[in-house]
Amino acid sequence: MSTKGTEADKESLRVLLVEDNPADVELIRLELQRDGFQVQSDVAEDYAQLEEKLGGADYDLVLADYNLPGCRGMEALELIQRKALQTPVILVTGALGDVTAVECIKRGASDYVLKDHLARLRVAVGRALQETRLQTQKREAEKQLADKVEELARSNRELEQFAYVASHDLQEPLRMVANYTQLLADRYQEKLDANAEKYIRYAVDGAVRMQTLIQDLLAYSRVGRRGLHLKTVDANLAVDEALQNLRTAIEESQAVVSHDRLPCIVADNSQLVQLFQNLIGNAIKFCGPEPPAVTISARNTADHWIFSVLDNGIGIAPEHAETIFVIFQRLHTHAEYPGNGIGLAICKKIVEQHGGKIWVESELGKGSTFHFILPITKPGTERRTT
Amino acid sequence: MTSAAEVLLVDDNPADSDLTCEVLTGGREQLQVRMVSDGVEAFAYLHHLGKYSGAALPDLILLDLNLPRRDGRAVLADIKQNASLRKIPVVVFTTSQAAQDIARSYELGANSYVTKPGNLRDFVSAVKSLEEFWLRFATLPVEENHD
Repeated sequence: MSTKGTEADKESLRVLLVEDNPADVELIRLELQRDGFQVQSDVAEDYAQLEEKLGGADYDLVLADYNLPGCRGMEALELIQRKALQTPVILVTGALGDVTAVECIKRGASDYVLKDHLARLRVAVGRALQETRLQTQKREAEKQLADKVEELARSNRELEQFAYVASHDLQEPLRMVANYTQLLADRYQEKLDANAEKYIRYAVDGAVRMQTLIQDLLAYSRVGRRGLHLKTVDANLAVDEALQNLRTAIEESQAVVSHDRLPCIVADNSQLVQLFQNLIGNAIKFCGPEPPAVTISARNTADHWIFSVLDNGIGIAPEHAETIFVIFQRLHTHAEYPGNGIGLAICKKIVEQHGGKIWVESELGKGSTFHFILPITKPGTERRTT
Repeated sequence: MTSAAEVLLVDDNPADSDLTCEVLTGGREQLQVRMVSDGVEAFAYLHHLGKYSGAALPDLILLDLNLPRRDGRAVLADIKQNASLRKIPVVVFTTSQAAQDIARSYELGANSYVTKPGNLRDFVSAVKSLEEFWLRFATLPVEENHD
């Protein structure tokens, strides 16, 4: 690349002149100097010299005559392109037919200047150097981008490693606490007073809650980590699978869950199941005195499906309609409704990963309806993103 | 099986191996439980090295994955690549629920993979059902020198 020379304002220019006529070499050199460049030049008089010079040094610019002894201009151009891809080439030549000129530009020459119009050299050189600078900047920007992508991939790998550590190394000591406090309670039942039993219950309960919390956090981090495996999914089957997973809760609460005929959509199946499972699970958990009744429906606009999960539960005050989707946000104590505030955060993450949106319509004591919209993706756009 | 069945526990966490041992021996009088706490010890035990020169081969191995010195995966690979050890059923019994650990263990030839349950009741019932399945219902290869 060109750098500022020792002479204050002059831009130094390392140029290779491919020219067999010594008079032309001198003229071009003079022209460049007049244009304000501090010129350092090498001369190649034929193909062999050109090959040798290109192998030996970096040039800011190559100025080449189209007609060299022993080779055609196009061959010289190809050689330059091959040996010094980033270096701009300007043909400085005698009369060149339009067809040849166009062909040269196509093959990568930056410009061409006729020898009897050398005054145009300044503009051509300036433009070629500028172009090269821009391309260098672009390459650097692309490299930076590639570096960032690599950095991101590395940080993802670290996150995975962390998730693994969380799943193993954090759970093991927790299990020890839970198992052995429970064992204490079992083995020494007669020797302990009521207080001791209560303390043990608290300790076990704390450990168990911590275990659930870690499991749920892992589930939350997995939603982003595994990427989307998009394919056409029958939402009816996704709901059925969610209900299957919830069967104990459904039986215990005597919940009635019904759904309309739901569409087939392009989605990640396991995430869609999880989404329905969390929403239906919440509808069952946060029920009022009546057994829970949950209805799932779907309708479409031109480009979206709108799914709704309606329940007859305790409802949510409007001021909490947003915060319930934030991780760890809870509106109730553990004694009232157990949980750790991750379920709806997972729902939000799943819906947003699918390019959709989730919200709730509710009033305290009047049940809730969770809506989520998913864009309608044309079949055949099945893809896998990571 | 007429002679006392032998189980080898490979686990670096005494809290887990003590509990497992207690559950196993609590159910059967005729059961020997041997415990080693890392992969190198497990290797020595199975190859009758050093202080284990007189050790009999176990009928069942419960193997933790994350072990000091020599990893459980390497121990599993050793066992399943060795002609005289390969037939011993190896149950990977570990805290890890990671999909890659499960897949890797089966690839290496684990006979089953059981995640240690997080609460006492399930832990006890998991160990009991492992014992019941592998030492009572499953038919295991008879060692030739026992014939």
